[in-house]
Amino acid sequence: MTALQNIEEIYENRGGRARELRDAGKKVIGYFCCFVPDEIITAFDMIPYRIQGSQSDPIDEADAFLEPMACPFARSCFNMALKGEYDFLDGFVAPHSCDTIERMYHIWNSNKPSPFNHMINVPHMMGPSSDAFYKKELQYFIVRLEEFSGKKLEADKLRDAVNLYNRRRALLRELYELRRENPPRVSGTEITKVLVAGMGIPAIEHIELVLAFIEEVKQRPQPKPDGLPRIFLWGNEIDDIAFIKLVEECGAHVIMDDLCTGSRFFWEDVGQTDDPLDGITRRYLCTHCPRSLEPQAGNRKEDLENRFGYMKDFISRWQAGGAIFYIVRYCDTCELEGPDLREYLNSLNVPVLMIEDDYSTSTMGQLRTRIQAFLEMIG
Amino acid sequence: MEANGQVKTTAVKGTDTAREVRALVKKIYSAAHEAKAEGRKVAYIMVASQYDEIIRAMDIVPLPTENYAGLCAAKRDMDRFLLKAEADGYSQVLCSYARIGLGFDSMRKELGHIPDGSPDGGMPVPDMMLGSSAVCDPRFKWFQATSRYLAAPTFGIDVVAPPPQADLSEVRDYYIKYQRDQLQALVVFLEKQTGKKLDKERLWEAIRLGDRAWQLWYDIDRLRVAVPCPMPSQDHFSIMVAGHYYTGTQIAVDFYQKLYDEVKYKVDHKIGVVAEEKNRILYGGGLPPWHTLWIFNYFESFGAVFVIENVYRGFDPVEVPSHVKDPIDYLAWRAFLRFTRYHDQARARSGNPTVEKLLDMIEDYKIDGVVFHACRSCRATTIGQTHMKNELGKYSDLPMMQLVSDMVDLRDYSEAQWKAQISAFIEALAARNRQ
Ligand code: SF4
Ligand code: SF4
Repeated sequence: MTALQNIEEIYENRGGRARELRDAGKKVIGYFCCFVPDEIITAFDMIPYRIQGSQSDPIDEADAFLEPMACPFARSCFNMALKGEYDFLDGFVAPHSCDTIERMYHIWNSNKPSPFNHMINVPHMMGPSSDAFYKKELQYFIVRLEEFSGKKLEADKLRDAVNLYNRRRALLRELYELRRENPPRVSGTEITKVLVAGMGIPAIEHIELVLAFIEEVKQRPQPKPDGLPRIFLWGNEIDDIAFIKLVEECGAHVIMDDLCTGSRFFWEDVGQTDDPLDGITRRYLCTHCPRSLEPQAGNRKEDLENRFGYMKDFISRWQAGGAIFYIVRYCDTCELEGPDLREYLNSLNVPVLMIEDDYSTSTMGQLRTRIQAFLEMIG
Repeated sequence: MEANGQVKTTAVKGTDTAREVRALVKKIYSAAHEAKAEGRKVAYIMVASQYDEIIRAMDIVPLPTENYAGLCAAKRDMDRFLLKAEADGYSQVLCSYARIGLGFDSMRKELGHIPDGSPDGGMPVPDMMLGSSAVCDPRFKWFQATSRYLAAPTFGIDVVAPPPQADLSEVRDYYIKYQRDQLQALVVFLEKQTGKKLDKERLWEAIRLGDRAWQLWYDIDRLRVAVPCPMPSQDHFSIMVAGHYYTGTQIAVDFYQKLYDEVKYKVDHKIGVVAEEKNRILYGGGLPPWHTLWIFNYFESFGAVFVIENVYRGFDPVEVPSHVKDPIDYLAWRAFLRFTRYHDQARARSGNPTVEKLLDMIEDYKIDGVVFHACRSCRATTIGQTHMKNELGKYSDLPMMQLVSDMVDLRDYSEAQWKAQISAFIEALAARNRQ
């Protein structure tokens, strides 16, 4: 079996490996978003599992618990939980990412509790006192995990976990480097499979897979120049290939992203600090998510640069000719961020298509014409 | 809030004092215009951010942008602002308060002056914008987006509350410390903007006034346990203006004292809102439908009176320990105690502080039915209503209903549907009465 086939199998059967490990006696801790440090869970010898929804299954049972104007990604996750698809989780951890996740934590906790349930309060403001607070919240999380596991956290194990995840981060960046080629030998659709597959298996196994996949990609022949537009994707949760596949089918290469399910969760390393928790705190608070508020820096232009400047590199080094925003409907912070980011990217001469969607494969067809028109315009 | 001629609103037998609120609302905006003319500082603010007294103590005139959105809706002058924000790229599902604010700021920038005929003279350009993470996400993000239309410096603070499952003895110190640090950072920002040092004595004075007003407000609400109901929810949605937009001023204290006296008189003389009070309703949550406040009168025409509500309320009074000697520390402590007021109770029963609060209200106010209002564009006050209904159902058999629209966007509202739903609800109440 090729590495890609392996990855595809895990991608298709997302909870499979975690279930196996659980049957073998491991504890699996489910969590949302990019703010819960995998390192901490791993240092307890437990398996971190990033909870995902399903864009292809209708949300049918959640309505009895959760209003339809909540983020459909979150609703879909809960819908799966109600159907028993997350019964294998030993733990359920929600960061206070946004209003929806915070509310849903309580609803989930009341209706589908796991043996271990915990909410981490994540500061929305960025600054020194936020770091100190978040570190305290993480220490409290550790205390709760110690109670649950009956084990003390060992500093060395935490350090090892930091190194392990940094290694995975470095490899994923290496994989992303390959996307700089024109045309790239690896598609955005494949990248999504690699990343999503990695969210449900131990990092060590993911590392093996990514290594093998990189080798495979490098063996591929270099395709002929095709002149297709190169697209940068921005948004939140795209844990299904459907949308990216659609963009690629419309005649484009998806070559770079800033997504919760993409570069956002692995781009920056955890710094080496005397107390590893300091590096972890800093790294996870710096996650570029619109739900975090950077203090205003200078005038409008300077402020936009401060907020979005990191994307300049993504645009120039990956030679993006256009950007598509995929905003999950009802995500207020993304909805507020979108127009600002569009202004910034336009100032870099990058045209933007802003899409708001229901996190469902059933609406994809309606998007096709808009995407085609955009690609024609920039092509 | 009053409305123009087309809109039926306010209870027929509400309190007289509530009628004075209209002047208080007008004064919010006229005070801001006056301050601008005199060169004093004006700030866009978010209510219930725990910083009100600091702003008052620093002589900054607060401009509550959310309230302005509600005002536009009550005046049925919101569509032009909503459409403008949508034309500028904001989603039709984004918080409609934020859309009105952004649309208004966008129009004012484009025109070079306040849009003609804006309710209550419109909002002047602020000198600064102060967001906060209290209550919801848009409230800390919205002003960042507004900086697209105006150059005022913005500053946001975190307002944090631990989840009900947290062991308060473990987390209390660092929650209070963070709250303190956030408020202190705000003070530093405001000192820079105003060029003045915070006078701690003045802050204590504002806190004293703030606490006094909220104590009176609390006492008024406690009087409302009386049968028949002396003050309906429609009045609450007016009189909360003093508590939320005049916190830390003598105006709020005087207003609530007067209201207290009036409500007390009504209780003593058994003067109710309707001639025959058949049922007592709890407004369980969700922002009020500012566009259609007459709907409360519609319930009352069936003898169903809204006697208490769980939105835009003041917090219950809390006792900050006497060893707290610094006013910023006091504010941080007070916030923590307010937010955790129902935590122990929740841990002992339902697990949910809001459910506990509602259950207490159901008992104290002799409630016969509960109505929620789901607002399509307000996640913070809407998500969880269904869950609360489910949870309340475990402890009580009251009829409950959820109306759906939006707090200001009329495109989400259907009168026919509401009337049908209300009639079924009234029928359920009547069936209960017969039992
Ligand atoms: S997509 Fe937005 S609303 Fe949904 S969980 Fe993420 S941050 Fe929250
Ligand atoms: S989302 Fe709700 S609570 Fe937040 S600003 Fe809008 S109306 Fe207010």
